[in-house]
Amino acid sequence: MVSKQTKIVNPMGMHMRPAGMFAQEMMKFKCDVSLVFKDKEVNAKSIMNLMAACIKCGSELEVRCNGEDEQAALDKAIQLIESGLGE
Amino acid sequence: MLKGTGASAGVGIGRALVVKEQNLDFSGVPFSGQEQEKARLTEAAAAVSQRLSAMAAEMTQRVGEHAAEILSGQIMMLNDPFMTGQMEEQIAAGNTAEAAVDAVCGSFIAMFSGMEDELMRQRATDIGDLRTRLLVNLLGLEDMDLAHAPAGTILVAKDFTPSMTVGIRRENVAGIITEVGGRTSHSAILARALEIPAVLGVPGAASQIHSGDTVAMDGELGHVYLDPDERTLKDYQARQEAFEAQRQMLKEYLGKPTVNADGRPVALYANIGKPEDAQAALEKGAEGIGLFRTEFLFMDREDLPGEEEQMNAYRQVAALFAGKEVIIRTLDVGGDKDIPYLHLEKEENPFLGHRAIRYCLDEVDLYMTQLRALLRAGADYKNIKIMLPLVTGLEEIRAARAMLEKAKKELAAQGLAFDESIQLGVMIETPAASQIADLLAQEADFFSIGTNDLTQYTLAVDRGNPQVAGLYTPFHPAVLRSIASVIRAAKEAGIPVGMCGEAAADPALIPLLLSWGLDEFSVSASAVLATRRTISLWSQKEADDVRAEAMSLSSVKGIQGYLSSMIKK
Repeated sequence: MVSKQTKIVNPMGMHMRPAGMFAQEMMKFKCDVSLVFKDKEVNAKSIMNLMAACIKCGSELEVRCNGEDEQAALDKAIQLIESGLGE
Repeated sequence: MLKGTGASAGVGIGRALVVKEQNLDFSGVPFSGQEQEKARLTEAAAAVSQRLSAMAAEMTQRVGEHAAEILSGQIMMLNDPFMTGQMEEQIAAGNTAEAAVDAVCGSFIAMFSGMEDELMRQRATDIGDLRTRLLVNLLGLEDMDLAHAPAGTILVAKDFTPSMTVGIRRENVAGIITEVGGRTSHSAILARALEIPAVLGVPGAASQIHSGDTVAMDGELGHVYLDPDERTLKDYQARQEAFEAQRQMLKEYLGKPTVNADGRPVALYANIGKPEDAQAALEKGAEGIGLFRTEFLFMDREDLPGEEEQMNAYRQVAALFAGKEVIIRTLDVGGDKDIPYLHLEKEENPFLGHRAIRYCLDEVDLYMTQLRALLRAGADYKNIKIMLPLVTGLEEIRAARAMLEKAKKELAAQGLAFDESIQLGVMIETPAASQIADLLAQEADFFSIGTNDLTQYTLAVDRGNPQVAGLYTPFHPAVLRSIASVIRAAKEAGIPVGMCGEAAADPALIPLLLSWGLDEFSVSASAVLATRRTISLWSQKEADDVRAEAMSLSSVKGIQGYLSSMIKK
């Protein structure tokens, strides 16, 4: 398993559009991808889980990837989050 | 007559089509085995997904990509592996596909509707919509399709879900009536975009109105008549024609300069609350931004927006209005505008308390960040002007200017680009500022009169309190004299003076403002064209005559009655 700390920078946080985009991108990877936020682990391939976690702008979280393409998935996830999830 | 909230202007006359909630009772559906139920669920999800995709494509083409976003989100939710996984677990536990859909969607609806964030709460509606669509498909019911309603249909429902509104088009829908919802609801926004009259929040509408009833409605006043008598119907037909004629007529003022009847040019700007509103203001013909409220940047979040984020928001508007002025008001917090994470103290008299410029001058870090962001945002186009809210004395301008100069020094030392000669003006919205307008004019680069607060403070009336709201009126001679003296002081000092309150768009007050020589009118985007037209109808001589007569009257009733009678049609 690989993991990395990051921070949400887009102003509206993980609302529908960024959550949907992020989940779709993560679904392209074979490994499991999750976000650990406020001690809870959230399935990052699920738009519902992402939205339900109420992740706002400025939130610190950890991305965890576990499986064969884990490093590629982690790099992509960090790049998406740090570039503001398309917003 | 039924009454509701006028949510989209215009007059609608037609036959009601009451859109009933369908009977989604599935208690009689037998469980036909795990594999069979899973297959039914998969099939239903695929069908709904396909239908939503088709609707999203059609919506994108007809209204724009933004309008289709909610539908795209629903498709993603529907295909969410986590949600479908939960439904399959329900089936594995011996439930029908219908029961699985109902239970899982229900738990998500409960979760989202309990959230604090308004955007998230709206997702509950989306999931409710998905549940209905899946159940309709599983139960083999007829899909509701509003796209094929006959021309002249007045749609009536408890509420319209986003997917129901997709089929609504101007060619066949003459009006929209709902039991719930207000001016900012999804239905209201779509109705205005499509220019369909809408009255929302009419109690009991879906049960009192029956399909086939003749309905006449006014989307501005919020009135709905059922089976109107001949006189009412004639009246509504006449008003419908007048409204359409007016809408067409105003379109002629798009792209024209704003001049009075003598050809004297006047600046006509728009008030906006978000960078996104700037585009609409430009499309409606605004020649600049007379008031850009910055509170939105600080709201619905948990910490302060940084310098870069603020700069980007300001620069976005500056770029769109390149070559035109953009007046940005610094943070106007307090009073009725709370921002939870600032932990403002509860006050006995918030409107007379620690708010706006008073708060900002005490919160040095917060204010320096905003001033630096404004200075930097002005670097490229040099069209940003800074406006201070709720000024009552010279000390406040001096303190703000000192901070502005300090910010410039810092930016220069850091080698960051900024607008060296950015202008600093004052919003005149307190009786104190009005009384000493001559003194303020010596140090401010411009004035903008905020009539909403100026009226409230001058008359000592809280317009949010229904018991005294009737006393709130800009036609009071105290308010009018105050406005006149502010404009005079600005003229004598040779600085420009504008107005960004609601009074600037009032056709009864425009002749007074023209006569006094107001340089700039800033109104809501939707009022730009009507204001341009009103200004074009008045010559200086006529405006002067009306002003002289109005100011010789002494009562609110007399002044308002006279000015209203002089409105040019």
